[in-house]
Amino acid sequence: MHISRRDFLRYCGISAAALGLTGTDLMKLGELLASTSGPQVLWLVGSSCTGCSVSFLNYISTTSPTSAADILVNKINLTYHPSLMATAGQDAAAIAEKAAVSGGYILVVEGGVPTAFGGGACIAWTYNGKDVTFQDAVKRLASKASKIICIGNCSAYGGVPAAYPNETGVKSVAAVTGKTTINIAGCPPHPDWFVWAVVQLLLNKPFSLDSSGRPAALFGKSVHDMCPRKGTDERKNYGVEGGCLKELGCRGPQTRANCPAVKWNNKISWCIDANVPCIGCTSPDFPRTPLMKVGEGSGSENDD
Amino acid sequence: MANKIVIDPVTRLEGHLKVEVSVDLKGGSQQVIDAKVSGTLYRGFEKLLVGRHPLDSQHVTQRICGVCPVSHSLAAVMALDKAFGVGVPDNARIMRNLVLGSNYIQSHVLHFYHLTLPDFVKGPNMPPWQPSWATDRRFDAGATTTLVNNYLKALDIRRKAHEMGAIFGGRMPHPPTYLPGGFTEVPSSAQISKFKTYLSEIINFINTVYLPDIEKIAALYSDYYQIGTGPKNLLAYGVFDLDAAGKTRLLKRGMAMNGSPSIQPVDVSYISEHVKYSWYADGTDGLNPDAGVTTAQYPKTGAYSWLKAPRYLGNAVEVGPLARMWVNGDYRRGISALDRHRARAYETKKVATAMQTWVNQIVVGKPVFNQFSIPPVAEATGLTEAPRGALGHWVEINGGKLSRYQIITPTCWNASPRDKTGMLGPIEQALIGTPVENVNEPVEVMRVIHSFDPCLSCAVHVVSLNEGTQWVVSESCPL
Repeated sequence: MHISRRDFLRYCGISAAALGLTGTDLMKLGELLASTSGPQVLWLVGSSCTGCSVSFLNYISTTSPTSAADILVNKINLTYHPSLMATAGQDAAAIAEKAAVSGGYILVVEGGVPTAFGGGACIAWTYNGKDVTFQDAVKRLASKASKIICIGNCSAYGGVPAAYPNETGVKSVAAVTGKTTINIAGCPPHPDWFVWAVVQLLLNKPFSLDSSGRPAALFGKSVHDMCPRKGTDERKNYGVEGGCLKELGCRGPQTRANCPAVKWNNKISWCIDANVPCIGCTSPDFPRTPLMKVGEGSGSENDD
Repeated sequence: MANKIVIDPVTRLEGHLKVEVSVDLKGGSQQVIDAKVSGTLYRGFEKLLVGRHPLDSQHVTQRICGVCPVSHSLAAVMALDKAFGVGVPDNARIMRNLVLGSNYIQSHVLHFYHLTLPDFVKGPNMPPWQPSWATDRRFDAGATTTLVNNYLKALDIRRKAHEMGAIFGGRMPHPPTYLPGGFTEVPSSAQISKFKTYLSEIINFINTVYLPDIEKIAALYSDYYQIGTGPKNLLAYGVFDLDAAGKTRLLKRGMAMNGSPSIQPVDVSYISEHVKYSWYADGTDGLNPDAGVTTAQYPKTGAYSWLKAPRYLGNAVEVGPLARMWVNGDYRRGISALDRHRARAYETKKVATAMQTWVNQIVVGKPVFNQFSIPPVAEATGLTEAPRGALGHWVEINGGKLSRYQIITPTCWNASPRDKTGMLGPIEQALIGTPVENVNEPVEVMRVIHSFDPCLSCAVHVVSLNEGTQWVVSESCPL
């Protein structure tokens, strides 16, 4: 392996401020990483597009070579992830089923929980010859989890598959389990948001959640509050560089996320930087309609 | 006495797939004699787009698949371009191709290294790479170390492919920049230069790491040229428009039956779909996709999948990189599990190389968007290719709103169950005859399934919307 625990610590040293870590936290993290193989994490995927996992794999720090591989190798013990794990079938199902008995893991849920058809619209796995619905798996694993992270709007709020008319009865993890979940909102969430939450849990640092279950430290301000285009000339149509996108339906004022600060894909760009109005993908009501408006001179009406 | 093996979950793919195979001695060797492939997730987002603003469609349909969202974006805006009767400026066409190409690269690299390679080599000594199946590992310790290091390097490269795509795409996955009539990003010289820097590093990886690694597998596992053949019928819609009218493409449209080098035109009226073994009511079996509605029926006796069984002239059909490269005349060595991997790798090189040309064709300062108006009534189709095969969006607009939306995804073809005649789906056919050394670790079955790069997120998240309120439950594989 080329990636060591030291690399991860170096990353944390470099970007400690970004993660909100103090010197004491770093020492604690160092001890933790030196002494254990990291906490067990089970990552379940339900009614989802796998985009949250893909976004997680895009994780990188601007000033360090550290990437998602660092997290997997050095920070957590990811015993179950259907798209990444090597084993399969009964051997894979057994890992989750045994954990569900022993407990004490961090549960990450990607995707909503279909409740129609007796849960039969999503089968998590077959165990000892019996189909286990995703609904059943989430309920049992949530009850023994030390913490539950919902990655993405589908597990946090129902998201796209739960949008009207929601034929498969998709519900959020909190609605199905009655548990408090840490909601890393977004469709998909920025990888930094997820990693931030994992680091806080590792350090056992308490943090507050807003009324939608999102960490207040990440989702405290609106996109509009931080937008570099705030107060600039309003654009009336597409195909033009720069300007405020309010007239094109931008949801920045209603959407809580720090996208203008973190940007996306190694700070390459982000939606508004690419002249797209914010579509509000960290809001519990995503995907509301219309997601964007037609421009001036289109001859078409806009909805509100 | 045949052994029945159930693999559920089939890991290292997108979505939920279950496979059940019967294994028995035949001609002195233990092999698969029967197979059932099941899609075990149904995401009924069917009515979701009806009544919505047409500009919602590229955003919403991307959420069908987080691995190939760009293809859904493109199919959606291609359909709307036609529905609105609006042309696309060259700069926008090129940026659409460049972001799509970036995602092809990340998808193919992810598929080979992170979804497939653990079928052949032992990964790092920790979860999620352990536990793992040790059966039929042929690489020595030195080669294994190299491949595992390349697995990690490939994590970086696929991330960088996404960063490259985000230069014009805004963010990845789920880039928001595709728009009917063009594209939202306005390209600058600095962006073009940055794109080239990324592309150059990625092409170097493809040439010096990815292609050699594929050939290492091919050399050591050459028996997989005879394993996983399937129906040998190959379909491609074509992708990467090279002119404004969409007359020429980097990868052509066409169809090859029974492994023929002769390429036929594609005619969608030859498509029918079957539900005898799917969790839908039997009334609509064998109909053309335009006909009828489908009603979910779960449970249902004899059924084993949320996917329907599309057939072309009654034949099971394979889609994907091998089909594209075959139809285009770029790859004709054969049809097998190994050929699928090689065709995918050589397609990665072909697309990346073409992207070097395209990025130089952007003219800074030229338009990226043509104004459109939304007609009260319209109907159009967007046919393209996702990394894993042919993808089509069928759109209808009424009263200025989406009134019908239908999507046909690649994995609907590849992972389809039996049809009403009992004919097996492509992956099922490919599994028959696959040797199984150890019934407790049927890694050979995993290898054949993975060669198709199935995406069950796509297959079961398809949208099929009929106008009106009588519509009950949509088709899972609408065609």
